[in-house]
This record gives sequence, C-alpha cells and structure tokens, in this order.
Amino acid sequence: MSNADPPASPVLRAVDVRKSYPSGSRTLEVLRGVDFAVAAGETVSIRGESGSGKSTLLNVLAGLDRPDAGELYWAGEAAHRLGLDQLTARRGRFLGMVFQSYYLIPEIDALANVVMSARLLGRIGPVERARAAALLNRVGLRERGHHVPSHLSGGERQRVAVARALMNRPKLILADEPTGNLDERTGDEVIQLLLEVCAEEGAALVLVTHNPAHAKKTGRQLLLHDGRFV
Amino acid sequence: MPWPVYLALKQLFPSGRLSFFTVIATMGIMLGVTIMLMVTSVMGGFGYQIGRMIIDTQGEIQITAASPIDRGKAGEIERVLETTPGVLAAAPFAAGKVMVEYQKRADIPNIQGFSVEQMKKVLPLQRYLIAGSFDDLDDDSVILSYLLARSLGVGVGGKVSLYSPLMMERISQNEILYPREARVAGIFQIGHQQLDSSTVLCSLRLMQDLYGLDEKVHGYSVRLKPGADVESVALKLNQTLPPGVTAATWQETNAEFQSIVTFERNMIFFLMTFIILVAAFSITSSLLMSVIRKTREIGLLGAMGGRARDVALCFCAQGLFLGAAGTGLGLALGFTLLRFRDNIVHFIAHLTVGEQTFVKFYQFSSLPIHTVTRDVVSIIVFSLIASTLAGLLPAWRAARLKPVEALRNE
Repeated sequence: MSNADPPASPVLRAVDVRKSYPSGSRTLEVLRGVDFAVAAGETVSIRGESGSGKSTLLNVLAGLDRPDAGELYWAGEAAHRLGLDQLTARRGRFLGMVFQSYYLIPEIDALANVVMSARLLGRIGPVERARAAALLNRVGLRERGHHVPSHLSGGERQRVAVARALMNRPKLILADEPTGNLDERTGDEVIQLLLEVCAEEGAALVLVTHNPAHAKKTGRQLLLHDGRFV
Repeated sequence: MPWPVYLALKQLFPSGRLSFFTVIATMGIMLGVTIMLMVTSVMGGFGYQIGRMIIDTQGEIQITAASPIDRGKAGEIERVLETTPGVLAAAPFAAGKVMVEYQKRADIPNIQGFSVEQMKKVLPLQRYLIAGSFDDLDDDSVILSYLLARSLGVGVGGKVSLYSPLMMERISQNEILYPREARVAGIFQIGHQQLDSSTVLCSLRLMQDLYGLDEKVHGYSVRLKPGADVESVALKLNQTLPPGVTAATWQETNAEFQSIVTFERNMIFFLMTFIILVAAFSITSSLLMSVIRKTREIGLLGAMGGRARDVALCFCAQGLFLGAAGTGLGLALGFTLLRFRDNIVHFIAHLTVGEQTFVKFYQFSSLPIHTVTRDVVSIIVFSLIASTLAGLLPAWRAARLKPVEALRNE
C-alpha cells in the first residue's frame, strides 16, 4: 500500500477535501483535494512544512472545520452531512484529540480532567471514574490524579491529555504536534506512550508532527506539501 | 450533575477555594441585597408604625353615616357589631372641629369625643399619654395633643375655651352661646406630626353638647380580634349594616396616606434596584473577561463534544450561582444589621449629635423596622434574575466561539 492508498475498512475517510481561506484580496488554497483514510487500529503520521495544511487537515478530519468541498466519513457515517449539534455529539464519542498546548482545564485536577470527556457526553459514575483512574495509572500518573494542571510538569500534562483523549474509548485519536512544547526526551516518552495506549485500546492514531523520528514510529508516514499528499 | 453546572461551580470555586473574581462579584450582589433589605425594612417600619398610630387613634374600621346616628340606628349598629365575627370591641364617637383658645392664643384642631370606658377597649390612647391621666377626663375637661398644647402654651390643669360651630348657628338665630370652659386633663403624644399638632380628645357628652347632637353620635370606632382580616370584616359589616351606614377600613379612611407610603416604598425599591444592577454589570464584565481568558478551554469543550448551548449554560449558571451566593449572604448580613440596628444607630448618634439630641429630635429610641415577606421575595427574585441575566452576554459570546478558532487563539 502506498502512503496515500486507502485501507480496506477505514475508520476515517476523507474524499477530495478542499479548504481555502481568504487572504487579503486573494484566496489561499490550504487543502487542494486531499484523499485520506485510516484503518481501525492503524497509526499514521503526517509531516509537512509550516503552512502545508497539516493542522487544517486535522481540524477538518475532526469535524472542527467544515471543508469547502469533499466528503468525510467517520466509521462509515457521512460526517460532512451532519448538523452542528450532531457533529459535536458524534465527535465526542468517535474521536479523541491531543493538542500541542495540552488544553487542560486549570480549575480541576488531573483525574477530573480525564473524567471530563465522559462528563461532556452525560456519562458520569463509578465506572467512568474507575476508567479515568486506570488510564491515569496507565500513563504513569497514579499518584498525580488529584493534582491540578499547574502542579504538573509539561510531560505530565500531556500524559493527562492522552488519558483524556482515550477516556470515551474512541476509534480514532488525532494528535496535533503533541510534543511541540516538550523537551526531546519527554517528547519521545509521550510518543511512545501514545502509540502503546492506542494499540492497547485499539484506537487508530493520526499524528501530525515535525519530528521525522516520531513519524517513523507510526505504521504509515504521509507527507503533506502545498495542500496535497506527496 | 450536568457538566455546565459542574464546570460553573469549579470555575467559581476552583479546588474548593474562592477565586478573587467570585469574592468581588458576590460582595457586589451581597451589598446590594443588604442595602435593599435594610432600606425597605426601615421604610416599612416607619409606614407600619404610622399605620399602628392611625389604628390606635381611629380603630381598624370606622362606621359612619351621612347624618348623625340616632339611638335607634345606633342600637341596630351595635347588634350587627356584636354578631359580626372578628369584631373585638366598638366605641361610639362624635368628631368635628372646634376653636380652642387659651390666654389669647387660639387654634382650630380636630376634636373627638368618646365614651372613656368603651374607648379603652378600642383605642389604647393611654399609652401615648405624656402628662395627666385619662381617669381625670370628665364632661368638663379635655386632653390635648402635645404640639397643640405647646402652641397654646397650656399645661395640665390649665383651662381652655372651646368655640363650636353650634355657637355660629345660634348667633344667626339671635342667641348667644358662651364658649365652653374645659380643664386640660392630660397631654398625649403619638409621634405623628398631623395628629400631634391638632387633636383634642374629650368625653362623648361634651362633644354632643358642643355640636348639639343630643344623644346622637357620628360613628363607631371598631377594634378587631387579633388575626382578623380587616378587609373581609369591613365587607361583612357593609353587607349587614342598616342602609346609609358604611364601614371603612383604616386604609380606606387614610387612602391618601396609604398611597403616599406605597409610592415611597416602590420608588425606594426602584432606586435601590440600581445597586444590584451595577453589581450585575460587574458580573457581566468579569464573566466577559473570563470568556476571553478561557477562549481555548471553551474551544476544547467544543472539540471534546460539548454543545454550544451547554457552554452558554455554564456561564449563565455562574451568574446564577454568584447571584444566589450574594443574595444569601446579603440577606444574612441585612438581617444581622437589622437585628443590631439600634446599637449601630446609637453608636453613630453617640459619635455625631449625641444620643439625647437624637432621641429628642427623631422622637424614637428604637429604629422602627417592618420586613414584609413580599419585599424579601421581590429582592431575592430580582437579584437572582439580574445575576442570571448578567451571565447572558458572556454566555452568548462563549456560545458563538467556534472551537477551531478558539483553539487557534494563542
């Protein structure tokens, strides 16, 4: 299979996705007909120069941004046809996201941040709390569950973010440069952890990264250039 | 607990602490509620006290007729009064105006004559007596209000001359009726300017003589049993009294005074609401700052599956919680200050004009208050609504944020 060839049973599929933004008097085409698919449990990395459209593609895949044209399927469901509320609700169940800047809620502790994913879907109870604790344990933060984000290091915060992304047993994790704010050693640890827990949970992973070494750890590596995979 | 409510509480009370914003916003509402409660209670206190004075001098219900009531009709009225539920006692009266003269000083006050023994069951006027005694009141004596006695320069034991309209009537018939000499048996002070400046009390017999009423009376003052509803008793009386005789509640008799008191209270309430509105605006500006500060978190909530309307609800809930906390604390502080109002007032008086001057000038040693449940409920409802509405604009701003743009915000 070539880098951009679609898998047989994709958990996520994007067909001829196009996205442009107005830039002064002209239009900036960021995505120029991207075809992309990820199989269940597959790990894919996307690399590219700054401005190549990596983050825009990730936002479109996550349903956070509407493409100008093209189709998006989440586990076979046409996500591009869903209304805003439906899309938001499906997103919470279907995928988890990990960001460069962690985006933890500062007022609540690490455990509550992880549980928040389930809480947003109206699921909150002993089962969810136990799963959150287990996930924190898995990412090596068993003793840090009751610490607020400001008392955690950058690496620890990103581990919490990884646990939070996995909380609702998503089929897909989208990680947007998750090591961008971390030192090299911590970044390596986080990527290794992300790959391991995704494999354990059976979640596919799409990793946007600048780091070639991190990209090589994924099953498939894609390069985005000027709004297209090359 | 729904997540918007959970997150609202966590943002206001992060890790069980009180955020600076929460304290400031709550204090604004708290002070507004405290001031509203105190002002309405004190305003209500003055109104209530004046109302009690009116009842103490007129009774809760007054029965009157278009013309003086003769013995026959009086008997009918008394039978109705005896059988009407809620009526405790009634006393006949005759009222009008006379000219009072003492050592070439004169005044034209209202005069009210009543049977002393019956009056005692209806009007507790003896509690307002500051000199003399009601037991000394006979058919040749009067009791004067404090300011009237002072303007005439007469004290207890002095003799005043009473000139009645009957004298004018007799003059037109070429008869001369001499003024009636009356000894001052007492002086009373109610604390109501109008009553204290122009009231003369006398026996019913003396009043009947002055007005040539013979055995007739002008009406009845009625005292009700504790807890009896004035309106319904008056209604019942009006259904059963003889034709031409009507029963009016003290509020109806003093409708002008009542409307002024109500107007004043409503105006004060209206003006005081601006204090809470200012506090609500501070909630709005603080929550707007919060929306700006937490833009990326709001984006994250959307990215994780949080709906825009739930994000909005989170900020509205913060306004409501701040309002609820501020209202609760404001009521607690307000009732505490009202409880110790006299200590506070006397402390301030002690520091400024001195306690003696204060009591002498304001004619009370205890600040009257009357807290009406309806006012308290109005304050609570208004405060909660204003606080919740204060969260609407920030909520709208937060709900309009697109997750992708919010997350891009660095």
